[in-house]
Amino acid sequence: MDITELQPITNFIKTLPPFDILNDQLIHQCCQSLSIVYYSKNALLVHVDSNEAQLYIVRSGAFEVTTQKGDLIDRVSDGQYFGFSGMLSGEKVVNKVHILEDGLIYQLPLKSFNQLRAASQPFDRFFNQAFAKRLRHQGELKRKQITTRRISSLISEKLISLDSNSTIQQAAILMSEKRVSSLIIIDNQQLTGILTDRDLRNRILAKGLNGDTLIKRVMTKNPITAQKEALIFEAMLLMSEKNIHHLPIVENGLPISMLTSTDIMRSQSSQPLLLIGQIDRQNNLESLVTVSKQLPSLLQNLINSDAKAQEIGRILTLVTDALTKRLIFIAQLQLGNAPMKFCWLSFGSQARQDQAAGADQDNALLLEFETDDSSKRYFKQLAELVCDGLNSCGFPHCPGNIMAKNPKWNISLQQWQKNFSYWITTPQPQALLNATIFFDMRPIYGDNKLFEQLQSNILKQTKNNDIFLAALTHNAVQQIAPLGFFKNFVIERDGSEVKGIDLKHKGVALINDIARIYALANGLTAVNSKQRLTALIGTTGINKQDMLNLIDALEFIAHKRLINQGVQYEQGLVLSNYLIPSNLSPLARHHLKDAFKVIDDSQSGIKLTFLRQF
Amino acid sequence: MLAKLFIKSVIHYQSYRCQDKQLRSYQQALLPLLDLTIRKAPLLALDLEMTGLNAKSDQIISIGLIPIINGQIKISQGKHQLIKIEGSVGQSATIHGLVDADLQQAVSLEEALQWLLTEATGSVLVAHHAPLDLSFIEQALHKQHQQKHRLFAIDTLQIEHQRLLRKQPMIKEGELRLTNCRNRYNLPHYDAHNALVDALSCAELLLAQVSQMGGLDAIKVSELIR
Repeated sequence: MDITELQPITNFIKTLPPFDILNDQLIHQCCQSLSIVYYSKNALLVHVDSNEAQLYIVRSGAFEVTTQKGDLIDRVSDGQYFGFSGMLSGEKVVNKVHILEDGLIYQLPLKSFNQLRAASQPFDRFFNQAFAKRLRHQGELKRKQITTRRISSLISEKLISLDSNSTIQQAAILMSEKRVSSLIIIDNQQLTGILTDRDLRNRILAKGLNGDTLIKRVMTKNPITAQKEALIFEAMLLMSEKNIHHLPIVENGLPISMLTSTDIMRSQSSQPLLLIGQIDRQNNLESLVTVSKQLPSLLQNLINSDAKAQEIGRILTLVTDALTKRLIFIAQLQLGNAPMKFCWLSFGSQARQDQAAGADQDNALLLEFETDDSSKRYFKQLAELVCDGLNSCGFPHCPGNIMAKNPKWNISLQQWQKNFSYWITTPQPQALLNATIFFDMRPIYGDNKLFEQLQSNILKQTKNNDIFLAALTHNAVQQIAPLGFFKNFVIERDGSEVKGIDLKHKGVALINDIARIYALANGLTAVNSKQRLTALIGTTGINKQDMLNLIDALEFIAHKRLINQGVQYEQGLVLSNYLIPSNLSPLARHHLKDAFKVIDDSQSGIKLTFLRQF
Repeated sequence: MLAKLFIKSVIHYQSYRCQDKQLRSYQQALLPLLDLTIRKAPLLALDLEMTGLNAKSDQIISIGLIPIINGQIKISQGKHQLIKIEGSVGQSATIHGLVDADLQQAVSLEEALQWLLTEATGSVLVAHHAPLDLSFIEQALHKQHQQKHRLFAIDTLQIEHQRLLRKQPMIKEGELRLTNCRNRYNLPHYDAHNALVDALSCAELLLAQVSQMGGLDAIKVSELIR
């Protein structure tokens, strides 16, 4: 057969890099040897025969390559490839290929693939590079940062040094004054050695030398150094190779600072922990405000390191929790001990542990008893100090005034119970709409028993309470998720096309609503939506797959929202939940559409269950 | 079940009374294939280009064939045969992109039929709107052997017709056209049209349809052949 008669195939192949650099003869030879296979989502996985390696060229559809364990390696659609790693390495392929979207695949057998590699060096290089890139991608994403950051971003400007004719006692005094574990020894501006804690122990105390021994007798002479502009990664390698923990950093031949293995450890993934640690050490509002300035860049780092939305939400919430607790502690330094037991409550996203950047504060105080004048004044002052403090730290006051500093929400357990009973037993949809936020509630500080009493009281009343659940459901289905995308527009379910989508109110919030309704209907204590949905699996009347789908949809939309905000932050725009479709890849559109479908199905589900509506 | 029995008995009967050796072996080779799954049975997608739509008065211009073996369309085994016609291709030349000059490499209808039967022996034919293509071949066989033969094939249009009717009450004009059927399965759009590209398009459509109907291992030839 003359392959030129199959123009649709040759035309497609010869536009694909690296095939586009092959001459016509090679293209024809390659197209001749193709087989075509169709994969449907019904089959879930592409059957990859490890004994018959081939290059899979995606003609249409979407596929996902994961490790055996399920870690994502690559996602491919039209004009992309998979299956080449096994062909290049000669090892058996153990990766799994999931079918995301039905489609057609052209399969190029190993023999032809190798002929093309032999015939064209650029072709060969293309796949080797793609292979290497993928291998890197397979490594832990956290490492990504460390490999590209430079030493200069880690070291302090301060150089702590002595000359080698000083005594070791002087050295020890300086080290304890500056709280460092090592000194740089400089003579005539030149680095001549280093002295570490370990040297003081091993070479001095253990040997019975006394304090007026000169440093030059015990220091490590001509230590290994690193350049200021070297990669942190290189410093790590050097330290582990030479089994050292201290690395003097030089610039233009002169020592400028000391890099320790602790510095490197700290620079890795422990940033949020470090921030929380810092928060816990501050004793006044001003220093807390300074520390919390790191929050936006922490968020940005988390997004860049490809952390899950669920994890990012948790980390941000942990930081907010720590700030709140520290503010209460600082306020109590000023106000003294509380006149009765109390519990600081958070609502909404902080309670659900899915805070996003720029979230406002929603909190309240739960008090053991009714207050008298003096205790009322105490808790008013406490609430004002904490709420205003949070505001200064970047968590703006709640526009709806759901804050502990509002006397309405600074009340006793009994009054809280009365409020909830009112919302639950006489549910007016409008009144309930404003009260929904209270049903996602978590204790932050103080007496947890108070909170548990309140929560069990609420759940007792909401469980299987048809009228209340119907009202809640009525409110939850007022907003609906869009249908999908068309060109650069979002298509609403009524067919209208709009320019963008609010990923909070038409995405995550809808799933939070659904999770809340089911949780209250079943008397679940969990507050985080994922935990609620997970806890619901196995409950009678709940479809496991529906819950798993909702969890995935929540994660996907929340992640898209965070990435969107990450982009806004990088471009210096005001953070919003608004997503413009032109920034989305075809695959992301496809996934979002699926997620919207899951929301729509679940809304129909709660309508049927709680409103008896079809 | 009944349809399967009917097809089997027709094939039995035809091969019994058939005079032509080649045609008989084609019929006999088809019988054992009926019980195989779509993956196991060798399939051969077929498309004809004609001067018109009437088997009695119009002529075959070219035949495109491409096999599906073990669920894989084998490009290297695709074949395209041009056929000599009486007179000129006339008006339809613009449609098929063939001009009289191309037909220089063409063979006679008799030779083409012989070639087709050889190629098709041991395979199940697949075509989009199969009755039309088969009627042209049946007509040519009739002329050659003075004996009527009924041929069988898997018809992707018929499959699509049934699948669509399960989703919607009626079928609008054009919905069963090959291009439109392919769109529903996320199959790419092919610009060029000749018998070989259309045979390929039809082969891909069949794989897509069967994959969505439950898979190549779940469906047997006898469930689809007409």
